[in-house]
Amino acid sequence: MITRRDFMVSGITATGVGIIVPPVFAKSVFAATVEDVHNDKVLVILQLGGGNDGLNTVIPFADPAYLQARPTIGITADKVLPLNASVGLNPVMPGLKKLFDAGEVAVVQGVGYPKPVYSHFEGLYIWEHADPSMQQTEGWLGKLLASQLDGQGHPLTGCALGQASTPAELVAQNATVSVIDSIPTYQVQGGAGRQVAAPALYKQTPGIYGALFDQALSTAEYGIAALGDSQHRYTPSVSYTAQSTVYGSKNSLATSLQLTAEMIITQPSVKICHVVLGGFDTHQDEDTRQNALLAYVDSAVSAFMQDIANHGMADRVVLMTWSEFGRRVAENGGKGTDHGAAAPIFVVGKPVKGGVFGEQPSLTRTVDAGNLQYNVDFRSVYQTLIRDWLNADPASVLGASFPELPIIQTL
Amino acid sequence: MGSAHIKLSRRQVLGIAAGGVVGAVGFRYLTLQLPGVSQKVASAGGAAGAWASPLTTSAGRAAHLLRRATFGYTAAEWDSAASMSYPDLVDMIVNQAAQPLPTVADPTSYQAVVRAWYEHMATTPAQFPERMTLFWHGLLTSDYRKAARLPFVLQQNVLYRSIGRTDFRSLINAVTFDPLMIRYLDLEESTAAAPNENYSRELMELFTLGVGNYSESDVREGARALSGIRTILVDANGQRMQVPKLKGSTPAAYAQAVGQLLAQGASFKGVLAPQQHDAGVKTFLGRTGNIDPAQALDIILAQPACAPHIARNALVQFCTPDPPASLVTSVATAFRSSNYDIKTLMRTIFTSEAFSAPDAYRSLVRGPAEYMVATMRALNRPNLAARCVQAGAAMDQILYDMPTVAGWPANQGWVSSGAWLARLNFAANVVASAHTFPDPVAAVHAQLDGVVGTDTAAVFNASQSDGDRWYALLGSPEFQLK
Repeated sequence: MITRRDFMVSGITATGVGIIVPPVFAKSVFAATVEDVHNDKVLVILQLGGGNDGLNTVIPFADPAYLQARPTIGITADKVLPLNASVGLNPVMPGLKKLFDAGEVAVVQGVGYPKPVYSHFEGLYIWEHADPSMQQTEGWLGKLLASQLDGQGHPLTGCALGQASTPAELVAQNATVSVIDSIPTYQVQGGAGRQVAAPALYKQTPGIYGALFDQALSTAEYGIAALGDSQHRYTPSVSYTAQSTVYGSKNSLATSLQLTAEMIITQPSVKICHVVLGGFDTHQDEDTRQNALLAYVDSAVSAFMQDIANHGMADRVVLMTWSEFGRRVAENGGKGTDHGAAAPIFVVGKPVKGGVFGEQPSLTRTVDAGNLQYNVDFRSVYQTLIRDWLNADPASVLGASFPELPIIQTL
Repeated sequence: MGSAHIKLSRRQVLGIAAGGVVGAVGFRYLTLQLPGVSQKVASAGGAAGAWASPLTTSAGRAAHLLRRATFGYTAAEWDSAASMSYPDLVDMIVNQAAQPLPTVADPTSYQAVVRAWYEHMATTPAQFPERMTLFWHGLLTSDYRKAARLPFVLQQNVLYRSIGRTDFRSLINAVTFDPLMIRYLDLEESTAAAPNENYSRELMELFTLGVGNYSESDVREGARALSGIRTILVDANGQRMQVPKLKGSTPAAYAQAVGQLLAQGASFKGVLAPQQHDAGVKTFLGRTGNIDPAQALDIILAQPACAPHIARNALVQFCTPDPPASLVTSVATAFRSSNYDIKTLMRTIFTSEAFSAPDAYRSLVRGPAEYMVATMRALNRPNLAARCVQAGAAMDQILYDMPTVAGWPANQGWVSSGAWLARLNFAANVVASAHTFPDPVAAVHAQLDGVVGTDTAAVFNASQSDGDRWYALLGSPEFQLK
């Protein structure tokens, strides 16, 4: 039996209460140098939490089986924004359609893995750890950070933005992560005395959490200093609409992506940024809920890409979306869909080679009684981004090799 | 009190140890030495890189239990607890009767409910019932989002308090018919023709059994068994009433109408609507029959995985961050053989050897709500409740708005650079808004057992005011732990 809790406590030794191993042992390890880390190639990960319905995101409008399976929440062919003769985007996504037409969006169809799981938490674990067998204990981005992008443990190379806790993808023994909800609150409040006292409380904390606590504070201390004048070096060039009231979403994606832009533009060592939008678990009223969420994703991602381009950094940034699973082909009785399997993902940015890749899974030849059969292993996407975009070695992160996709421009 | 009297003494330096993860420096343990107050800290037993455990003393053990079974304590409560035998203290705590949540001005506002709950957590002498209410809220999760402007959050909060210490069979039956849960996990949408799987899956995966102890077919068949549960409004005599409509009303008028109904004894409740329920034959977890919701829950509770799942979750929250299988099994066995008696579950945990072992000392991380309520209790300032409602988000805990149906992280999952800044900033803001403070030295003794590391001692000793001293205490690593 593997539970969420098992995953979360896996950093503790098996015999009794051991030391909680912190991401980086020594507090001064990153102090020296960031010379070998540059934000020349940045990967932004956008997590769509809850299991986004792929079939109502990239719609197989030419397949009659689609509307048969979706009599009330299906989107008719006349409304979709066509990408080719058979599939098109949900009509609430004109921004991504525009980027697609400009050749800056790769739509990878049918992404999944063998023997799909239908639990949120197993699905999350598999994607976060790049491991359908759920044996790995370190997140794939954490491993990538620690092993290749930043062996120095620089605190701002890996960032979780617009959130308060560290995403499991970024957790690895030797990875340091800055978790920044917003820059104005990422401060030691209360005046100069507190700014001295706060880090002084966490220099050599005893106990099993000691090094973990101390690293949190040293990471914060470093980040605060680095971000001190960032508002003088970054002004958003576009309007990010902060629709924080979108139903069921627990994060403001537009605000998170604006913060991401600020980090990329002002911090030369940023390589990996993680943002999240929740609310995609649309067991009911999917027509209104998913549309609102996708519209929000569309406007926030479009604004972010434009802002990055306006700052002359379009060549440096690639964004990838993912979700723990797609949803059942047939709608349920509540204008919603239950947990499913394979789904499309988006890879967005000027360095991307645009187009529709992979094959739309059959809506009728399904697996596990009504779920989509995957065509592209999600680790193929990871491998492509690691090697072709970040110029790093995927084998040490993924433990095996997967066919790559031609979705990154070769210069 | 002048500053000369409130230095932490460096005369008591205990347990210098080299090695461990931090290298050759080791830690020194500074303890308070106050005139007329006996040393409460064990002078031996601290492993390399650990605090010296005071759990061999009755005072130390009482404080340890109070930090875990309650939201914190005053010096007087600690004294009283330390004067009891440990088994008597455990019995007294698990048998506490809950005090009802005071009337909430706007029962349709989840924030008003959460604020009232924070205040209640800070003030009620019946601490354990509140701690259990929070425990069940974190395990049997629901968020407010689908029930905006309905008093469902309040009703669930009241429910978990009233039966959260009875037996798990009663609890999980009530939860399955709880209006907020019905809304949150889409039971309301589930019909015989199209059963919605959301509750069926999370009931087994998260609430009772854990992944691996049911099949996808059980999820679908369970959804059939659970189909047809609906929420109705009944008056004080149990007669069905019409639910007031928000449409065409103003939020204020609507809130007033709902509040008036509740004041007259009306309540929302879940019922099985036969015409929406799939009465056909199902095969669920190996049993075949015309299974209805109550029978489905009985079948789940008969599974061997159920008691260990609850026991493990309780152990991670109350005992040890990584409970060994033998401990889970022994607690689960006691729980199961008591017919899922929740007091037995908790008494077994609190009296286990693991609970008071030296390595149990400060082995759990206070969650944000626990941290904030402990702060209010240490300072005797329940008027910080509104601040707690606002401050939770940056520490990653908003009550009735968890990140996912799996609830919140535990222990090291709470730790991040941003979340730790948020805790320190909460302490700073709390201190800045205070005019007077309880004696900070006595508080180091009472709240932190007088056992602090070199960093906390140094910051405390360098402090210029009681506000600075309280900042050091509330922001210290020691105060984040239990």
